[in-house]
Amino acid sequence: MTAGSPLADIDGKARRSRPYRLAGPSWIIPVLLFLGFFFVIPLGANILRSLQSGQATTNGPLFYYVKLLTDAYYGGVIVETLKVAAISTVLCLIVGYPVAYFMVRFAGRWNAVIVFLLIAPLLTSIIMRTFGWRVLLARRGLLTTQLFEWGLIPRPLNLADEPFAVYLGLVHVLAPFMILSITAVLQKVDVRLEESARVLGASALGTFFRITLPLSLDGIATGCILVFVVTCGSFLTMLLLGGGKITTLSLLIYQQFNVTQDVGFAAAMGNTLLFIGLICLALQARFLRRTGVKS
Amino acid sequence: MTGMRAMRASPESVIGGFSIELPSVTRERCTLTTAVPLQLVGISKSFGSVQALRPMTQTIEGGEMLALLGPSGCGKTTTLRIIAGFETPDRGSVVIGTRDVTELPPNKRGLGMVFQSYSLFPHMTVGENVAFGLKMQGVSAAERTTRVREMLALVRLAQHEDRQIHQLSGGQQQRIALARALVTNPSTLLLDEPLGALDKNLRERMQFELREIQQRLGITSILVTHDQEEALTMSHRVAVMSEGQVVQVGRPTDIYERPRNRFVAEFLGTANIVGGTVTGQTSERCWQVALTGEPGASTSVQSDVPLAAGSAILLAVRPERIEIGPVVAGTMRAQVQDVVFRGSYFAYELRAPGQDVPFFVHSQSRKDIPPDGMVGLGWRPDNAIILEDTP
Repeated sequence: MTAGSPLADIDGKARRSRPYRLAGPSWIIPVLLFLGFFFVIPLGANILRSLQSGQATTNGPLFYYVKLLTDAYYGGVIVETLKVAAISTVLCLIVGYPVAYFMVRFAGRWNAVIVFLLIAPLLTSIIMRTFGWRVLLARRGLLTTQLFEWGLIPRPLNLADEPFAVYLGLVHVLAPFMILSITAVLQKVDVRLEESARVLGASALGTFFRITLPLSLDGIATGCILVFVVTCGSFLTMLLLGGGKITTLSLLIYQQFNVTQDVGFAAAMGNTLLFIGLICLALQARFLRRTGVKS
Repeated sequence: MTGMRAMRASPESVIGGFSIELPSVTRERCTLTTAVPLQLVGISKSFGSVQALRPMTQTIEGGEMLALLGPSGCGKTTTLRIIAGFETPDRGSVVIGTRDVTELPPNKRGLGMVFQSYSLFPHMTVGENVAFGLKMQGVSAAERTTRVREMLALVRLAQHEDRQIHQLSGGQQQRIALARALVTNPSTLLLDEPLGALDKNLRERMQFELREIQQRLGITSILVTHDQEEALTMSHRVAVMSEGQVVQVGRPTDIYERPRNRFVAEFLGTANIVGGTVTGQTSERCWQVALTGEPGASTSVQSDVPLAAGSAILLAVRPERIEIGPVVAGTMRAQVQDVVFRGSYFAYELRAPGQDVPFFVHSQSRKDIPPDGMVGLGWRPDNAIILEDTP
């Protein structure tokens, strides 16, 4: 039998089945290299720094961590960090869910416009955006002046430099993350599921709590994790709008680097913050696996 | 009690190769169910400048299955959504039994509904899906379990109570959707293209099965479909809709045999349309009609109402009612363009002199076609349907 005869394949070895792929696994090598140099190595260096620099060289490698977790002040800051993140997450959820629901169910062709309006604030620099809030909220700012003129407040207040301003600034920036996470999942919830529930006797509110909300939990979880982790890491809003009334871990890191210049302690704080973030992601992964809707 | 025993004497019926067994409790409830009529009184609906539904008045008798049949955009879905309460009609009212439900939200209307996509809740098991309506009614957990099991037995999925929805096949999901719609004992069952997502074989079996269950329970039903075969198979009466209004309502055979106009004739199966002019009466109910486009050719038609000589009329003839034969002077003739074997019949495509559109003839046997392809076409006078449209 000559080589290349079509019959050769019948007697010969079966062809190795190879699934069709657009690209091979080797295509991710550039990304891996990039992340290796600019993420993994600095991260490792940071961990070493927290264990081996400054007072850690004399007082044992875990000195900074012990100080961070046992000292009442620093423990309080960690708790405050988690508290601020939790509150801003809940606020974003309360503000964001109705917007997401409206976008998916009613916006129709205006959807693209709303998405643009949501993303637009993210296009401006965070400093400009934050100072913008100061202009509105400060003692001689637009908002308080107007409220004073209407007689709603006895004298112009300084609403900037208050926790209120911090949460306002955080929700302003982070609500889009929540909204877009929820819309992505809500879009997959067929409106006819809600209609089925209605015909079966569920009230509008009952339908929401029994059908819509359970089916959009994935989006809520994703949005909450995003907002929580980003709040944990953000410090400019706290710095510029908090007036020193809110001290979070990220703000402390900034101070350690720039004011105290205790690099080892700052590194330990950074790693602690990273660890909190990782715990959140692990919780999310676990939650999604449990409630994930298989369809 | 004797009545119930008599019913138990025939525990199952075989339809389409399926045996459908009704559990005893369901049968008892069947006998208690009083079928409720549904009335649509002049309902109409516009979306912006588009009139989706022109004023429509229709009574669906208790226990009857009415099909709303028409192409997409004809208003059939709007009608169903008005009945369900998802849309409010601009005018008119929906009356179930003696109760005007026009202003009631969907959850207060006591309806059952099956959607094309089944719309089963993906985060609940089969049993939880079926129990949902009962839970909303505040039925106790113990009674819920009993009634859910009965219903699952009715749709022959008793073993699937604890399954997840995604573990079921399309046909099974369809049956669960039906069970979920029926378990609350609704006054009216709404079916929105219920078999549209199934493949052809399964769809045909389910048509019989659904019809059987509907008739057993004697529940007033409205079926929305664009599939003429589904409408003809499943329903007692068919309402053909076009451009927001009902064109013709009648029993399936009437609609098919006596379509009122060109739209109905062409939407339900194939129809050959030919124009003509009445030339005179030949016998008591027969008139002679000269066919348009071919001088000298004529046919005779049957009519219960007198036809004025000289008036122009439009005729529809079903492909299976036309006979192909040798050319006879004075009758219609046409040239064979193509023959297709369709399994149970041969489909002939012909072109008649003076006609713009091809003629279709379905024949049980293969005909001898002369070399020039010219054949004569004939039909019985009562098979030529006079349409209301003017040519």
